[in-house]
Amino acid sequence: MIDAGSHGEVLLRVNGLTVRLHSGNGLVHAVEDVSFSLARGQTLGVVGESGSGKSVMARSLMGLLPKRALAGGSGEILFQTAGGAQRDLASLPEKQLRLLRGPALAMVFQDPMTALNPVLRLSVQLTEPLRLHLGLDRQQARSRAIELLASVGIPDAAGRIDQFPHQLSGGMRQRVVIAIALACSPSLLIADEPTTALDVTVQKQILDLLARLQRELHMAMILITHDLGVVASRADHIAVMYAGRVVEYAPANTLFTSMKHPYTEALFNSIPRINDPSHTRLQAIPGRPPQLIDPAPGCAFAPRCQYAQPRCREQTPPVVTVADAPDHQHACFFPVSTIPGGRPHGR
Amino acid sequence: MADSNPCQLRERDDIVLRVEHLSVNFAMGKKTVQAVTDVSFDVARGETLGLVGESGCGKSTVGRAIMQLPPPTSGGVWFRGQDMTSLAGEPLRQTRTGLQMIFQDPISSLNPRRRVRDIIAEGLTIWARDNARERVDEVMEAVGLDAASVGDRRPHQFSGGQCQRICIARSLALDPDVLICDEPVSALDVSVQAQILNLLEDMKARYHLTMVFVAHNLAVVKNISDRVAVMYLGKLCEIGNTEAIYAQPAHPYTRALLASIPDTDPLARDDASIDDAPLLQGDLPSPADPPSGCRFRTRCPYAQARCAEEVPMMQPVADDHYVACHFPLR
Repeated sequence: MIDAGSHGEVLLRVNGLTVRLHSGNGLVHAVEDVSFSLARGQTLGVVGESGSGKSVMARSLMGLLPKRALAGGSGEILFQTAGGAQRDLASLPEKQLRLLRGPALAMVFQDPMTALNPVLRLSVQLTEPLRLHLGLDRQQARSRAIELLASVGIPDAAGRIDQFPHQLSGGMRQRVVIAIALACSPSLLIADEPTTALDVTVQKQILDLLARLQRELHMAMILITHDLGVVASRADHIAVMYAGRVVEYAPANTLFTSMKHPYTEALFNSIPRINDPSHTRLQAIPGRPPQLIDPAPGCAFAPRCQYAQPRCREQTPPVVTVADAPDHQHACFFPVSTIPGGRPHGR
Repeated sequence: MADSNPCQLRERDDIVLRVEHLSVNFAMGKKTVQAVTDVSFDVARGETLGLVGESGCGKSTVGRAIMQLPPPTSGGVWFRGQDMTSLAGEPLRQTRTGLQMIFQDPISSLNPRRRVRDIIAEGLTIWARDNARERVDEVMEAVGLDAASVGDRRPHQFSGGQCQRICIARSLALDPDVLICDEPVSALDVSVQAQILNLLEDMKARYHLTMVFVAHNLAVVKNISDRVAVMYLGKLCEIGNTEAIYAQPAHPYTRALLASIPDTDPLARDDASIDDAPLLQGDLPSPADPPSGCRFRTRCPYAQARCAEEVPMMQPVADDHYVACHFPLR
């Protein structure tokens, strides 16, 4: 069981979350037995490649997966609401979930163009949650919306508010999406690849903005990305996902200094680093990420793992806690530092 | 526009590709977009030049203009002693076999209805080369595809990384001198990127290639390049030896770009000088209406009056390190 432990009041506790989806080729095991918890004001970074289940996991937390795609699932998503009550989002009826989306939970998506309605002015899109959830009248909502736009760093907010999304650049649009998400001061923000569609200089602006707003609103955040670099310096804890499972979970510093799962190590070593000299040979991971339809028994990473043993192909490794680090969990029979001849980590 | 040769062009015998005063304009309604303006660089035999910049800076347009896809508005592209912009028809087709290109999206660059073997053999068939079958087998083996078992499959049966291998095999079939790679790994999974980057290095050594590598990921570009050219809004800001540019960027834009990279290692932020660089404000101006003088001045933390009036020329700041800035960083 992965636990935020002593890092403050637990806001979200996910127990054994499993999601199956229908697809043309069969049942997709998108998320398998994911458990973690998140304290108020903390950031959890979720790292994984495409198809690792990170976005499906995020959407199932929000209850945003299309009903007809869902082929079953189990597990609990226990969320502490503002009133102090604990709700299981996984079993909450859609009507009650709608009341939580906005004031309690909010989400920022990868592509800021498709996340905004192209035929509605920003004013309409920004004031909708304010009027619906906070009950503001037209005038109040409009002036609050202008404040929100200004707070996410949009110059001339009062003039911009009557524009359409296409009149804004990608970075500006993502700021608007963030403003909408934060309109009702949610206690949990899920940011699904918020900067992947943006240029690197704009990426830094947006990540800095999210960090500032998170501090101001004392908001917990789940930051989903494929880029280890994005979460390295911005997350309190990091969960590494592979083939629908969390294969390693640790405080950010611990993860980078004493990673245990061979996938985390391989991912880290395969990335070209800016401080390495040119033409440094990269340690590529052979093969490709697995299909999630009818997964083979055993550890999903075993076919690509340089340390794999026969046992890895037969049994699924359970999540275990590192002996002297209660905050550090991994799902591997042969964690890397215990392997004779395993390379030391860090710099 | 400068008439004399820009200072970053080198006097060497082994220059394979030279781009001089390259400009590409596109019509956008009544306006003209200056996608690339007065870009000059050269690539020596066996060298890899990395072309970096944010989206919209014209880096892909430069790659395509070298291939004459479409031909540039003005300027010259010298390859095998000829200016490709002066060629047309049959001579252009002949010359172009020496330059090959691979693209960002490997799946959409392959015809889904054809077999892998036929896709790779296309160039050989067009030019009626001898021993086409052996050549296809050889390049497939070189990129790590088993010709016997996968040659008759079609692209949809392969993953993105495998499709990029097919694209690389196709580009190598005609034994080119120059390989132009336009964002070849940005559509691939992180764990597959390294495979393709290593493969490109291997192919470069095996087939004595010269490469132009267009990408937005600075770490990827550093890994593969001998020299780097940084572009901003259609202009070249800085060009030179990779290590020199990454260790001591002289253009404020290059420095901001390097400072924006999130580091993979939370303990690695040791490069204090780069960390202290002020954050870039705002977004890219429209290339249809670029700022006067230095195009970066609207976002530059060090901009002065002169930057608005005078277009900065390339000047040397160190050995094989050139920058187009009135006030280069030191």
